[in-house]
Amino acid sequence: MSLMTMILKMSEGLGKTCAIFFLTLLFSLPLGMIVALLRMSKNKVVSSVTRFIISVLRGTPLMLQLLAVTYGPYYLFGSNVARNKLIPVVIAFAINYAAYFAEIYRGGIESISVGQYEAAEVLGYSKFQTFMRIILPQVVKRIMPSVTNEVVTLVKDTSMAFTVSYTEMFTIGKQIANSETSFLPFIVAGVFYYVFNAIVDYVMGRIEKKLDYYR
Amino acid sequence: MSEKTNVQSAAQASPSILEIRGLQKSFAELYVLKDISLSVDRGNVMSIIGPSGSGKSTLLRCTSFLETADGGDILYDGQYAVNGGVYASKAELNRFRTKFGLVFQNFNLFPHYSVMRNISEAPILHGQNKEEVSERAVQLLKKMGLEGKENAYPCQLSGGQQQRVAIARALAMQPEILYFDEPTSALDPELTGEVLKVIRQLADENMTMVIVTHEMAFARAVSEWVIFMDGGVIVEEGEPERLFGEPSQERTRQFLRNYQQ
Repeated sequence: MSLMTMILKMSEGLGKTCAIFFLTLLFSLPLGMIVALLRMSKNKVVSSVTRFIISVLRGTPLMLQLLAVTYGPYYLFGSNVARNKLIPVVIAFAINYAAYFAEIYRGGIESISVGQYEAAEVLGYSKFQTFMRIILPQVVKRIMPSVTNEVVTLVKDTSMAFTVSYTEMFTIGKQIANSETSFLPFIVAGVFYYVFNAIVDYVMGRIEKKLDYYR
Repeated sequence: MSEKTNVQSAAQASPSILEIRGLQKSFAELYVLKDISLSVDRGNVMSIIGPSGSGKSTLLRCTSFLETADGGDILYDGQYAVNGGVYASKAELNRFRTKFGLVFQNFNLFPHYSVMRNISEAPILHGQNKEEVSERAVQLLKKMGLEGKENAYPCQLSGGQQQRVAIARALAMQPEILYFDEPTSALDPELTGEVLKVIRQLADENMTMVIVTHEMAFARAVSEWVIFMDGGVIVEEGEPERLFGEPSQERTRQFLRNYQQ
């Protein structure tokens, strides 16, 4: 198989790689905020339970979580494994990444000085207005570098979908590598991920720069 | 309580915008405020002086509802915001909040907002006309000596300028009384003057103010009434010339002596 065919074949899986990537971000970014707010809840039970869930999600391999979400229902209830593997894959990724984002958000929210809340309160901002208008925009700016880190990791983590034979780019690469007994597909995959992340880096850098108008 | 409120509001003759009776506050075992009573008349300036930890800032934070008092009364315009340590409803407290403004030691401007938005957003959120608010903000900036700074961001301003924006932000809400919590303590001596100048200007315009400060000469010059606090109590109070000139309490003399050195 020529290098060109290899690249073309693997490109076919890129769509699925992108699907995992974008859908995971779409769900995990907001879900992470909900988890962060539950984690900071004044209700001890809510915050402890959330804390425990976060610790499980961060303390066990993503690969294991992928397998659990994909095949768990079959072993537990005997239900069929989802025909479209994208669904369990995205669920597993979104939940896992939400746990990481939640902790990043929490760090960001807790880094905002009490004075900001107090100034808003005295000026008559409601709790919701204070959060949406005063706190959140400042949090977003502060957490951008950490979020970029996670997003870059996510690009590479999409390759883990091969464990449930979801045919994204890396899975195809692995299949070709096996049938052709060649290492080349892995190099191609590496280049794909690198370019993908170069784009991510550029976009995130632009966003950070846009938020640079204040300190 | 509603009965009392009605009686009081009927008796609008009371010129006090703020009245505090027997206010108490403790943090865990530590009593920060013990039985504080005072009242501020419209158009008057009251300064509160005293050593660090005397409870002056806590007092202001209680009157602006940032701290919850344990006991005593807080009345605005003769109406109970706090009655025997019991707070009025959330809606009522919001209404009382429109009566006062607070200027913080650390300014607490919103860093991601331009000067204009810092000043104008709260009144607009309160449903005031946008153009009127903008117009008012421009006028206030002019008064603060910050003409043309509308589009600047707080990080581009000096501390003294930031504090003047904070004063403009508080004034934009058109409060009936303005609280200052050590407004110049975070500023270089050089920048202190410009902030004190605008506060003095407000005093000349009969703005009602309560100022917690370490600037003794300023307190003496600008106030109608001065309170000296220590250990959570009002040790001594009086007209500035009397209190600074011939303090009756040994503790006051000692405190003022330390300042003159």
